[in-house]
Amino acid sequence: METVRRLYPASLDRKAREEIFGWILILPALLIILSLILYPIFYNIYLSFFNVNLDGGNTYIGLDNYKDVVLDPFFWNSVITTILYVIFTTIGTTFMGLIVAMAMNKTFPLRWLVRSLILLPYVAPVISVVFAWQFIFDPVNGIFMDVTVNKLHLFADRFNLIGSPKAAVWVAILFSIWKNFPFSYLMILSRLQAIDKNLFEAAEIDGADSWQKFKAITFPEIYFVMGAIVLLRIIWNFNKFEEVFLLTRNVKVLSIYTYFKAFTGTMEMGQGAAIAVIQFSLLISFIFIYVKKVLKW
Amino acid sequence: MRKIVFITFMCVLLLLPLTGVFANGQKEAAASGPVSFDFWTTETQSNRMATIQVLIDTFTALNPDISINLVAVDENDMAANVQTAAAAGTLPGMFEAGAETAVAFGADNILDTDAATKIIKGIGVDKYYAGTLKLLETSSKGTYYALPYHGWIQGIWYRSDWFKKAGLKPPATWEDTLKAAKYFYKPDENQYGILVGTKAEGYTEQCFTPIAMSNDAALFNKDGKLIFDSPNMKQAVEYYAELAKYTPPGPQTWRARDYYLQGKLAMFYYSTYIMDDLALQDVAEGSLTGENFKNLKGSSFDPDLVKNTGFAPIMTHKQPAGFGVVVALGLFKQKNPAVTSAVEKFINYLYTQNAYITFLHMAPGGMNPVLKSIATNPLFQNDPKGIFKHYGPQKMAEIIQGLNNIETFSIVDGKRMVAASQISAKQIIPQMIYKITQEGMNVDKAMTWANSEMEKIAKQ
Repeated sequence: METVRRLYPASLDRKAREEIFGWILILPALLIILSLILYPIFYNIYLSFFNVNLDGGNTYIGLDNYKDVVLDPFFWNSVITTILYVIFTTIGTTFMGLIVAMAMNKTFPLRWLVRSLILLPYVAPVISVVFAWQFIFDPVNGIFMDVTVNKLHLFADRFNLIGSPKAAVWVAILFSIWKNFPFSYLMILSRLQAIDKNLFEAAEIDGADSWQKFKAITFPEIYFVMGAIVLLRIIWNFNKFEEVFLLTRNVKVLSIYTYFKAFTGTMEMGQGAAIAVIQFSLLISFIFIYVKKVLKW
Repeated sequence: MRKIVFITFMCVLLLLPLTGVFANGQKEAAASGPVSFDFWTTETQSNRMATIQVLIDTFTALNPDISINLVAVDENDMAANVQTAAAAGTLPGMFEAGAETAVAFGADNILDTDAATKIIKGIGVDKYYAGTLKLLETSSKGTYYALPYHGWIQGIWYRSDWFKKAGLKPPATWEDTLKAAKYFYKPDENQYGILVGTKAEGYTEQCFTPIAMSNDAALFNKDGKLIFDSPNMKQAVEYYAELAKYTPPGPQTWRARDYYLQGKLAMFYYSTYIMDDLALQDVAEGSLTGENFKNLKGSSFDPDLVKNTGFAPIMTHKQPAGFGVVVALGLFKQKNPAVTSAVEKFINYLYTQNAYITFLHMAPGGMNPVLKSIATNPLFQNDPKGIFKHYGPQKMAEIIQGLNNIETFSIVDGKRMVAASQISAKQIIPQMIYKITQEGMNVDKAMTWANSEMEKIAKQ
């Protein structure tokens, strides 16, 4: 107490001292957020109004970058790809997580082992599983083509599933579901375990079947966990870069499209910044609506 | 309390002389000028990095005031990384990259051309193969953007035994190449006609350039006007797109050369870097996967492949054209002149006989000398992998001679077209080819897109 008192003038009352102390405590975190998150965001917004020249001397061009981006059909392709990617991966990871969590909530031999093994895709380094997937789907040497074309004769010709721009998005979606469903599973399972068992017993006494029990007890209990998982997954996958980029560069979701625009070819950094601002605005608007309507905050 | 004050006082007293020693040490170090710099190299493979590190360690042992940090940068990322480093003011001391990339950096005015020219003149202009220096000369004669260090030539490597059996001519003309690609394309048997690049990467441009040049198609005319949308270029793009139909499915890059080593490809565009993979089992193993997949067709090393492989380095249509890349060492402009002089010292060391030959022996056949005296040096010709013995000194001399005659889009009638190098560094052509071959865009639309991107660069 003596130390705390020494930090502030004696004239300050206890409440004011505590407020200052609170600010001191959050100051390091605040500085980090300001320097590593807010500064790049504002600098990015600033850059989006300029024709960026890496040798220095940026030229102010008003809204021209935004105009160029919005009039570019490749940008809209990228928006559609992103929406497709986000919707399917979010639904996929959540449902897969839910089904597996429900299964893992039942008792069976070696459940502890299965529960741990399910987490493997989530904890494995992304680069190593990406290489495995690429090898599996290699058009000439991969096992997928060997089995489906040569053994089962499901397809007439070999094709490059990961390389083909049209098919690659579905592989990326499948990969994301496989890699990330354990997170949803873990969250849902922990909530399932916390549900009072008396509720199920009471429902059984009332003659409720499995579906009715799920609808009336399980779902309302896990609703907000699932709501939070969906929100997080949408935020993460809307900005997803490394999984898609490492697996296949052909799926131009917004973050990858921005990278190509800003850092390859003619390096349109101003336009890259504009796309990032648009992406950010879309995401923020969505989060506001979602939080209000679904999470009812 | 008194005790604490006393102990603190004693500690300060004891530490004071030590800080003096330390400060003196720093002064001494500053006087003798310790410098450190980054060396960005495109030799990303771990064994090559280890060899370069050995050279660095030897050099720094002889020059304890200099420390060098070796950084591997993928060749496809080099231009973007350098541009962002330039903007951030964190350029490395030196780099090793293809001549076109080096010229593009020179055009951005971030290279120390005076230092590069000084080193070249110090070694002796007449000691170099003239063709290799020409690729790095600025628009003012006798000054250079960077120093040629090693190089390779490229062509079509093909199964000469298959060609002989089928009665086909070697792939040295448009017609013969396309005919053979069609003939050997048997996807039902998991066998493909040819490998040309279809991914939006540098390799694709390396495959496309000799085809375009053999059709007398260029990016710029001798007056520096962009002529990409010429009928000759369109023919070349259409021909390339046709060839690409006979490659393995999907976007492909140099890595698909593995299919050739596995006996699943008839032809592939590749540099002379492939020579050790063809001849030596331990080198080829990385491409064969035999250890893990014994049942996979072509997973074991074929000792006859080297003698059953032919090499067609020149493509002919309206005119003959070859392709190759000279890899250069360049110095970035520095605020601190001590760094520049340290880099100069290191580059001079890299040109000394033993260091140079050690460097080149990382990939015999792939890394060929640009100094005449090294090419004929018995130490160089006695490479540890025995590539010279496998192919014979005559073949190796032909390859090195080919290096002297490399042609590129960036030199037209002896004039330097800087924008062509920038177009190459920014991979506009590979992106266009990807759009055509993988995204199904028609040739006219893709060429219009590429032309507009090139115009942006030409206007800068």
